[in-house]
Amino acid sequence: MFANFRLSLTWLHTWFGLVLGFVLMVAFFFGSMSVFDREIDRWSLPQTRIAAQPMPSFDQVLAARLAAMTAPDPDQLELAAGRVTQPLPARLKVTTWSAFTTHRDPVLDLFVGFKVPHSKVPDDQIFAEVTIDPRNGRVLPRDQLPLGSGFFYPMHFSLNITWHDIGYWIVGFAAMAMLAAIVSGIVMHRKIFREFFTFRPERNLLRSTLDLHNLTGVVALPFHFLWALSGLIIFAGIYFPVIDKMMHPLIEAHEREEATHTGLALGPSGRPGTLASVDAMMAAAKAHWASLSVPGEVGFLVVSHVGNSNAYVSIYRDSTDRVATAEGLHFDGTTGRVLFEDPPVGPVATVSGFLQGMHLQQFKHWTLRWLIFTGGLLSCVCIATGFIFFVEKRKRAHASAGHAGARWADALAVTTVTGMVVATLLVLVVNRALPEDLAQRDLWQKSAFWLAWLATLVHAAWRSTALREARMSKAWPEQCGAIALLAAAAVVLNAITTGDHLGRTLSAGYWPVAGVDLTLLVCAGVATVAARKLHRRARSCAVAAGSGAADLERESARA
Amino acid sequence: MATTTQSSWHVLSRVGAGILGSYLFTWGFIALGATSLLAAGLEFHEATDLVSMLGLLIFLTAFCYAFIAASLARVWLVLAGGGALMTLAGWWLSRSLA
Repeated sequence: MFANFRLSLTWLHTWFGLVLGFVLMVAFFFGSMSVFDREIDRWSLPQTRIAAQPMPSFDQVLAARLAAMTAPDPDQLELAAGRVTQPLPARLKVTTWSAFTTHRDPVLDLFVGFKVPHSKVPDDQIFAEVTIDPRNGRVLPRDQLPLGSGFFYPMHFSLNITWHDIGYWIVGFAAMAMLAAIVSGIVMHRKIFREFFTFRPERNLLRSTLDLHNLTGVVALPFHFLWALSGLIIFAGIYFPVIDKMMHPLIEAHEREEATHTGLALGPSGRPGTLASVDAMMAAAKAHWASLSVPGEVGFLVVSHVGNSNAYVSIYRDSTDRVATAEGLHFDGTTGRVLFEDPPVGPVATVSGFLQGMHLQQFKHWTLRWLIFTGGLLSCVCIATGFIFFVEKRKRAHASAGHAGARWADALAVTTVTGMVVATLLVLVVNRALPEDLAQRDLWQKSAFWLAWLATLVHAAWRSTALREARMSKAWPEQCGAIALLAAAAVVLNAITTGDHLGRTLSAGYWPVAGVDLTLLVCAGVATVAARKLHRRARSCAVAAGSGAADLERESARA
Repeated sequence: MATTTQSSWHVLSRVGAGILGSYLFTWGFIALGATSLLAAGLEFHEATDLVSMLGLLIFLTAFCYAFIAASLARVWLVLAGGGALMTLAGWWLSRSLA
């Protein structure tokens, strides 16, 4: 398409980077937030600000709670109704019970799986989900949104667009564009080693932006590549359901063979069964882990074929000490004896488990957690400077030719860089400002987020008229100012509404809330400095408009 | 940017080949790759996980190739044609394995 190899890849880098970059900003920013999703949950749900809890007694706490969950979540039921060839019966058959927790969770997620009969999808299952306080089994209200794991985390991989999984596909394609941008970026800039050490903030904006783009790109290169790739690997089954769609007989044959080998029944028998003490199985599992000298709390527990004589219970160790998820121990549901222990996984599963585990971070290692958070923010800086470079390089030419391209790129860049942070901080403020017992509190918070984000787009579009005269949009400093105010307001409101001010959380060493508050204060500080500098630049640009044009053109030609 | 002038149809076709062509090619790679590895005696999940992971790198390579290669017709032929052929071969092989 272009004169040569390098120019083709430059075109790819520029245009896919720009268009999918807006999605990548969302994925990387909310991915960074998700590194601390449980901590943000504690901040947003004050009634859960307690120490992390181990898996509670199944026999005394969980069994009754799970048995009370007799119907799937209404939204899942509605979706399932669209996949069946015959109307769904009033009551669906329960297939699985499960409970999941990590070393950072004071609350416990419970799931009940229901079989969807007459579905076009093989082995179709839908779920009921509740979050409980494991100390007493009390269910947390469903409309109390855990902002970290319930909103920021799904935003990271699906943009919270659930219609036909389209959000997964958009983010997946953006991740692929990220990989292509990395490959093409390396081809475009051959002097990788030099760029590692090059940042000239005193030079003109175009040059220093490009320096920072290259610097952040190169410094965190393995992070950018491996996180985009491992994210794709996690959802590879959604993106390429090749085996599932084309080779179902092969899967079934494999499952049958595996079941004869493991002794774990594939389906229920005709006879009902009574579940033996699961607490005794958990105790046996812990004793087994102790004998292997590995740390062992129960992280994940599944009862398959609930209420049937074929029932079995799978118990998995939490992954505090390792990257990939641990192997399971499977017990006969009626007798409680061990049926099967998962053998060590093969080489491919080891690599795949490591890449996915690295991305999902269930291990206990706070230094690594902060490094991964920093890596995500570096990706954001790399993408954001890419936008700024795109605009700076074109704004004069577009202004003189009357093109609106640079103007709209700038407006969208403002919306996805500062606007997204404004909306995120606003939802934190709204979370603390709304009455605790307000009905549909989750909906209010989500609506506030989307409206705030829309407002930043309108603001950015309005302010971007400055680009017509090749000047800087004032939306940048103004939204930085809003970030500073909102971040500080969130910290103050948290102190007022919960009494958990920094003095108290720090002296008590309650890091989930203290950490969020401190990060918000750092954010407020950085945004204040940025707003001041950008205001100054906006003023000086207005004065000196046109004087540096020759210098800029020379730099553009070289870039 | 110094480009040889190309119609917007050409650019669209490139982008289409980069996305749809690469998708088809990767689909074929996974289908044929998984069945070949299974036929060679690899454990089921080892085979499918391996080709799924490699498939993503194959997509990346095909995507870049679609923009680098000189002949657009050849890009479509290799990616879509090759993808269809591999899918067919994989399907045929899976029938003989089941």
